[in-house]
Amino acid sequence: MTTFEPKDIPLYLSIVVPLYNEEESVEKLLSNILEVTKQFDFDYEIIFVDDGSEDDTWAIIEKLKVTTPQLKAIKFRRNYGQTSAMVAGFDYARGEIIVTMDGDLQNDPSDIPLLLEKMEQGYDIVSGWRKNRKDHFSRVLPSKMANAIISFTTGVRLNDYGCSLKAYRSQYIKPLNAYGEMHRFFPALASMTGARITEVPVNHYARKYGVSKYGFERILKVFSDIFAMNLIIRFSSTPLKGFTFSSIPFFLMTVFFAILAVLSWNFQWTSGKTLFFFIAMALSGMAVVHLITLGVLGELVVGTSDLSHTKLPRYKKILMQKGEDEGLKKDQVNAKGHPLDLEVLHDKARTN
Amino acid sequence: MKYSIIVLLELEEMFKGSVQFIQNLYELFSKRQESFELITIINGVGDFMKDELTAFLIRHDTVKALEFNSKTSQAVCLKTALKETSGEIVVVCGSYQQISSDSLLELIDAIDDEVDIVTPWRQHRVDSVLNQFQSKLFNALVRKLTASTYHDTSCTVKVFRREVLENVEIYGNMYRFLSILADKKGFKTKEIKCEHYEQHGKSTYYGLARYINIFIDIFTLYFNTWFTRKPLRFFSAIGVILSFIGLFIALYVFAQKIFLNYSIGDRPLLLLAIFFMVLGVQAASAGLLGEIIAFTHGRNRKEYTVEKLI
Repeated sequence: MTTFEPKDIPLYLSIVVPLYNEEESVEKLLSNILEVTKQFDFDYEIIFVDDGSEDDTWAIIEKLKVTTPQLKAIKFRRNYGQTSAMVAGFDYARGEIIVTMDGDLQNDPSDIPLLLEKMEQGYDIVSGWRKNRKDHFSRVLPSKMANAIISFTTGVRLNDYGCSLKAYRSQYIKPLNAYGEMHRFFPALASMTGARITEVPVNHYARKYGVSKYGFERILKVFSDIFAMNLIIRFSSTPLKGFTFSSIPFFLMTVFFAILAVLSWNFQWTSGKTLFFFIAMALSGMAVVHLITLGVLGELVVGTSDLSHTKLPRYKKILMQKGEDEGLKKDQVNAKGHPLDLEVLHDKARTN
Repeated sequence: MKYSIIVLLELEEMFKGSVQFIQNLYELFSKRQESFELITIINGVGDFMKDELTAFLIRHDTVKALEFNSKTSQAVCLKTALKETSGEIVVVCGSYQQISSDSLLELIDAIDDEVDIVTPWRQHRVDSVLNQFQSKLFNALVRKLTASTYHDTSCTVKVFRREVLENVEIYGNMYRFLSILADKKGFKTKEIKCEHYEQHGKSTYYGLARYINIFIDIFTLYFNTWFTRKPLRFFSAIGVILSFIGLFIALYVFAQKIFLNYSIGDRPLLLLAIFFMVLGVQAASAGLLGEIIAFTHGRNRKEYTVEKLI
C-alpha cells in the first residue's frame, strides 16, 4: 500500500488537489478539471488527497474513481493540514510537472494551460496570481501584507503566495519534504535551490459551498510562520554565522560594561557601581558565549544531517553552446515529447 | 497468524507468578480457534526463574523467548518483538496479570473495522490508595496536556493492530502513551473498562525517583505531541515571557530614575532585568537550534499517515 500501480511510467502532468470536507464541490471540481484536460495531447493524472474529511468526500471520490481511470486518490487517517496533503500528492505524483489547486472551486482549472505555457518557456515554478480576488476586504488586506512581507524577507517577489494554483517542476518540489505550514512558502523554499519563478494572473471565484477555513488566529499564525521560515532559510545552511551575528548586540553590551567597569575600578569613577558593572558584563558575556556555543552545536547538527536540504537540485543539464550535436538536443525534450525552448535555456545558462 | 502475544518481563517486576501467568495466557488463547504465537521478552539479565521458563518453552514450541543482554527500554523490547512475530493483532502484557482474563478477551474482541487500538481502564483497583491517587493525578495531567480522553495510560496491557506500532514512533518510556500517540496519527482508539487484577499490587509503593521519571515522561509526551515539528513555538513562548519580565523590571527601574530621580546604577533590580532578558534570549535561541534540527533531520519522516490509496 505504498505506491500506486504502475509506478515508474513517467507522465507529463500531475494535478494535485487537497480536499477537506468538500462533498458538495468534489464532483463539480473533477468535471471542471476533465473539461480542461480532455484537450491535452499528453498523459496526465489527477491526484485527490482526502485530508481526513469527516463528511462523504471519500465515498464520492471512490464513486468517481470507477468512471475516471486517470483519477488517483489518497486518504489520510486524520486531518493533517494542507501542507501535508500537498506533500503526499507530491510524493505519489509521477508527473514531470505538478500543478496544485484548491478543492473548493475557488481556482479555475482552465488556467492550467496558462501555467503549463509558462513552464514550457523554461520556468520551474509558476505561481497563480488572483488579480481580481472575490473575497472580502478583511481577507484580502492581511493577505496582501503577508505577500509583501514574504516577498521582502525572502527575496522572491510574488504578488500572491497564498494562491493554491501553482505549477512546479517535480525535481524542485519533491525533495523539499515540507512539513508544518510550509505550503505558502514553497516558491521561497524552492528558490533556495535556484528554481526560476514567475507568476501569471488567474481567475478566482468566491466560495460557493462550505465555510472558509481562515480566521484572525490564522493571520497571526501566518506571520509567526513567516518569521520562523525566514530564520530557517537563513540559519540552516550556516548556523554558526547566524548565531554569531545575533550575539553582536550582547557583545557590544559586554564591551560597554567592561569599559565602565575598568573606568570605575581604576579611575575611581562612580566607585560604588564597580560590582554592578562587572555583573552586568558577566551576564551579557554569558549570552554571547551561549549563542556562539549554540551556533557550533548547530554546525554539528547540520553537518551530521543527511544534508538533504543542500542536496536539492541546484543545477540541471543544459546546452552550454548553441548548435551542439543533435544527440544532446534530443535529450532536451520533456515527457510530452516537445523540445524545450532552447533560447530560454541559453538565456538561463548565461544568468546562472 | 492472527495474534501475537508479547509478554514483557521486566527484571525488577519478575516474581514467582510470571511463568504461571504466561502459562495461563497460553491456555486462554489455546481455547480460542484463531492462530496465535506467544513471545516472551526478558528485559535484562537474571537467572531467576530461568529454569521454570525454559521448562515451559520446551513443552510448547509455538512459544518464543528473547533475552536482552542488558536492561533496555520498553520501546526497544516491543519493536524487537514486533520484528520477531507476524501476527496481525498484537497483545502486549506485563510480567504479571494486571487485568482479569475475561477483560483481556473483551479487549481483544473489541478490535474490529472501527478500532485499531484498545486500552483497558482498570476499575475497582486493588492497589494502595496512594498509588490510585497518584495514578489519577497523573492521568488527569496527561489528559489536560495532550487534549485526549484516556483515563488509564499506565497499564502495560494494550491490544492493537500491527500497523499502529509500525507507524507510531516510540522510544524510551513512550510506550505507555501509545494510544495517545496513535490517536494523533489518526488511528481509531478505544478505552474499555476492565476489572483490575493484581495480586502483588498491594505491596508496592511508588518512590520519589519514579515521580520524577513520570513527570519527565509527561513533559516528553507533551513536547512530542505539539512541538516536534515547530520547537521554536515552544521555546520562543518561554523566551518572550522571560524577556518581557526583564523588560518590565527595566522599565520600572528607569521610570524611578526619570520621575523620582533615584540612583539606579547599583540597584540589584536592574541586574535582575538584564538577567531575565539574557535568559529569554537563551530560551529563544535554543528554540532556533531545535528548529534547525527539525528542518535538517526530521524532514524525511513523513508527517501524514495514509489509510487508503486508490
